[in-house]
Amino acid sequence: MEIKTEQFTELAKKELKNDRQRLFLKLIPPVMRMKREAGFGTLPDAPAAMACGAAIRAEAMARLPELLEEFEKNATANGMKVVWTRDDKEANEFIRNLAKEKGIQYVTKGKSMVTEETALNEVLEEHGIEVWETDLGEFIAQQLHRTPFHIVGPAINVPVEEVRDLFIEKIGLKEPTLDPVQLGYAARLFLRDKFHHVKMGITGVNMAVAETGTIINVENEGNIRFTKASPPIQVSVMSLEKVIPTMKDALHLVRLLCRSCTGQRLSVYVSMDSGPKKKDEIDGPEELYIVIVDNGRSKIYQDVKAREVLRCIRCGACLAGCPVWRQIGGYAYGWAYSGPMGQVLNPVLLGLDKTQELYRASTLCGACKSICPVGIDHPSLFLYYRSKDVLEDPIFKSKDRPWAERQFFRIWSFAASAPWLWNLGVRMARPFINKDARDGIISKTIGPSAGWFRKRDLPSMAGFTFHDRWKKMQNTESRGQKSE
Amino acid sequence: MEQSVRDEILTKLKAAPKAAFPARPHLPPYKTLSMDREQLIAEFINRLAEEAVVVHRAKDFPEALEKLTVVALEEGLKKVMATTDDVVLRLDLPAWGKKNDIQVMTPEDFPDRESYRDAVFDQAQAGITGVDFAVAESATIGLVHNKDQARLVSLAPILHIAIAPVDRLVPAYEQVIEKVFGNKKHYPSQFVFISGPSMTGDIQGVLFKGMHGPRKVIVILVG
Amino acid sequence: MKNISLFIPCTVDLFLPHIGEATVSLLRRLGMNPVYHQEQTCCGQPALNAGYRQEAKKVAKHFISVFEKDEVIVSPAGSCACMVKDHYPEILENEPDWLRRAEALAPRVYELSQYLVDVLKVEDVGASFDGKVTYHESCHILRGLGVSEQPKKLIQAVKGAQLVPLNGADSCCGFGGEFAINFPDISESMLEDKLENFLASGADLLLLSEPGCLLNIGGYLNRNHPGKKIMHLASFLSTNGREAGYGN
Repeated sequence: MEIKTEQFTELAKKELKNDRQRLFLKLIPPVMRMKREAGFGTLPDAPAAMACGAAIRAEAMARLPELLEEFEKNATANGMKVVWTRDDKEANEFIRNLAKEKGIQYVTKGKSMVTEETALNEVLEEHGIEVWETDLGEFIAQQLHRTPFHIVGPAINVPVEEVRDLFIEKIGLKEPTLDPVQLGYAARLFLRDKFHHVKMGITGVNMAVAETGTIINVENEGNIRFTKASPPIQVSVMSLEKVIPTMKDALHLVRLLCRSCTGQRLSVYVSMDSGPKKKDEIDGPEELYIVIVDNGRSKIYQDVKAREVLRCIRCGACLAGCPVWRQIGGYAYGWAYSGPMGQVLNPVLLGLDKTQELYRASTLCGACKSICPVGIDHPSLFLYYRSKDVLEDPIFKSKDRPWAERQFFRIWSFAASAPWLWNLGVRMARPFINKDARDGIISKTIGPSAGWFRKRDLPSMAGFTFHDRWKKMQNTESRGQKSE
Repeated sequence: MEQSVRDEILTKLKAAPKAAFPARPHLPPYKTLSMDREQLIAEFINRLAEEAVVVHRAKDFPEALEKLTVVALEEGLKKVMATTDDVVLRLDLPAWGKKNDIQVMTPEDFPDRESYRDAVFDQAQAGITGVDFAVAESATIGLVHNKDQARLVSLAPILHIAIAPVDRLVPAYEQVIEKVFGNKKHYPSQFVFISGPSMTGDIQGVLFKGMHGPRKVIVILVG
Repeated sequence: MKNISLFIPCTVDLFLPHIGEATVSLLRRLGMNPVYHQEQTCCGQPALNAGYRQEAKKVAKHFISVFEKDEVIVSPAGSCACMVKDHYPEILENEPDWLRRAEALAPRVYELSQYLVDVLKVEDVGASFDGKVTYHESCHILRGLGVSEQPKKLIQAVKGAQLVPLNGADSCCGFGGEFAINFPDISESMLEDKLENFLASGADLLLLSEPGCLLNIGGYLNRNHPGKKIMHLASFLSTNGREAGYGN
């Protein structure tokens, strides 16, 4: 997947011009919000449930190395083969080599965000192994060669006409229908054939339970269950922060995840694997590989504040909750992760230098923080990354700020701590700021602030500021008192 | 080489600064935990209805078999795949099949996974299984997969018929997990929670049933 | 009479001074004695938002030394109150003495409607207004301070005023300080959603408690919908909704 995070502003502008998408984004997020709220309404104490989610993930991150070791020990005892990989290259290479060794011609794939990070599909295809994404949304996105629009509904925005045309071209759709249900059934038939004969399946991992050495996947469609039942080889890929201490913790998080994601009490299928199939079982994998992927996480783990980002359970609630995402949709963010969770994760995985606009394109409204079921404080992290740019921190690969901006804030902060200078500065700045003012309103200007004035006015800087008015009020009152 | 990658990652993680974490807050118990048997059953049936699961009630296994016959007629079933779990065995489906001119296959009929796969994908009009658990908290049944509860039977056919003895109904998921993961030596290779028919909204948010898994789920509650 | 120290943000001081006057007049009407420290300048939020923590710290220290002797500090701006209450302790965490002073100051800082309703226990300030109004829930006031019912209670107590619901009231208006200037396309898009909801609400007047949002939404209204009015809650309560139009 091409990384386009540095083109955020242009991509956003382009997305804003897509009227059909804008309409979709007006209609669907409020529905998702209602569903989410209704889902949380079925819990006896939703705020406590969310605080518990935050505590579980905070513990999981605090104890990450020991939990990973515990998971590995138990998963291995269960008969799984645990493989550690440092980065995208190693992860892709392992899976590619395994597929080659086993003579695999194609794989079916359940949704896995970490494999979007590593661009696994492209690597497999390059080596002659066909990859079939089987989650309906991922399948459509894959066939259209697009990044996911929304983490849960990767192609939910694609107009139904485009899906019809795609299916006519790629899956032999006979009836040119615009009915999503019929289109879905056509995809079902097509992909069913893949599930029937598949020899190696690849899934992601929602949770890796350290206590029992179990991986858990959550889905509504059944494609992950097929991928875990039909082929003799299963490869489940997890980024290393997926580990959870206990089964009890995992259950609680599953309750939160499903409600936060789609408002459901539970997704239709929750499958828990504790090893390959037993000898006498007729389906299920004979070999089960767990590929643990680092890809920059152990580095960011060194920073206790940034570590919070790793709590994310990929529910996607922050996307539809974000007023910025609701304007531009997922493509503008330029990589696997969009919305506020992408704005906190992409910078630490790709480097601040490649993602500066992402953590600055926020009003810090806090909607994301208020709905995150694991207590990630996105606005605080945006501010943190912005401060890293000023400090030029190499762990974060931050990018230097413009010289003029540095000087501005130096002078500004000096003036703001010295009232005489502040007042002098105000008096000096006023004629400059007000030079284009008419009747007490500024309607245009040139320079870096010009963007404001495209569609907005600004009151001119008051000739008689509150400082001045108060002084006058005091003088009037004291004169009044004196005259009594 | 393999070992060194593992060690490298773990060493890096262990070298990082330690951080504290908050204690878990107290969570009030879920409402089903204080329900009696009848309330639990009613709650479970309500949840199933929300997910468009068709529910039949039978007071015992013979009546369950009668209900099954009705279902088979309604659905036009001629060829089905059944598991060999302890619930299904109580129905003696091979005999029932003979009586009703329905071919009842089981995974044991097949010499290898390939031929079994072909049958369960292409020939079975329905999959019939028991359940190991039912959970009143949501429209959920739990299946412990093993040789008598093959995975594809409740997944590949377009219709899933689940025979659920009422004494396997519990209030919340925790009661299930205690039993399934209680014995470290005997974790099942796979355990699944199933909550209704397969579903998606991936095309323009339009929800429909029957994406990859069964399009229809019928539960026969026994007892 | 109780002394109330006024925390007048730079946006109000320089661009919307009438809101400061309205705040003074309102507090006096309720029997308080507003005092104003001329040495105050700005809370430092612009520097923090741009990533300049050292510079923000400098400004924070000045603010703390100006205000720390006051028993009660009230501001007609929620985002500035949040800056002092939530962020000062955070940016000063490595300087124990200043941290202590910041933590001592934080509980004494209030947003105006929060102070009136929660502390003074006043909802009816003796105002009247004939017409439909609606209320925009500014992000820092709503999520930063948890203040939502208080402004609405004050509005509902105004004789003759009818508070109608605003769709998407808690959705950000697109200001965000530097955000509006650096990402104007997205900002305008968010603004247009807010406007659409305001126009659909049937209200004659849009009320809010945040000067930043006022500059943003008001700036757009003045350019594109000059007939539509917006007002800060302090001005609304102080002038019975008859405050002078936009501009200085």
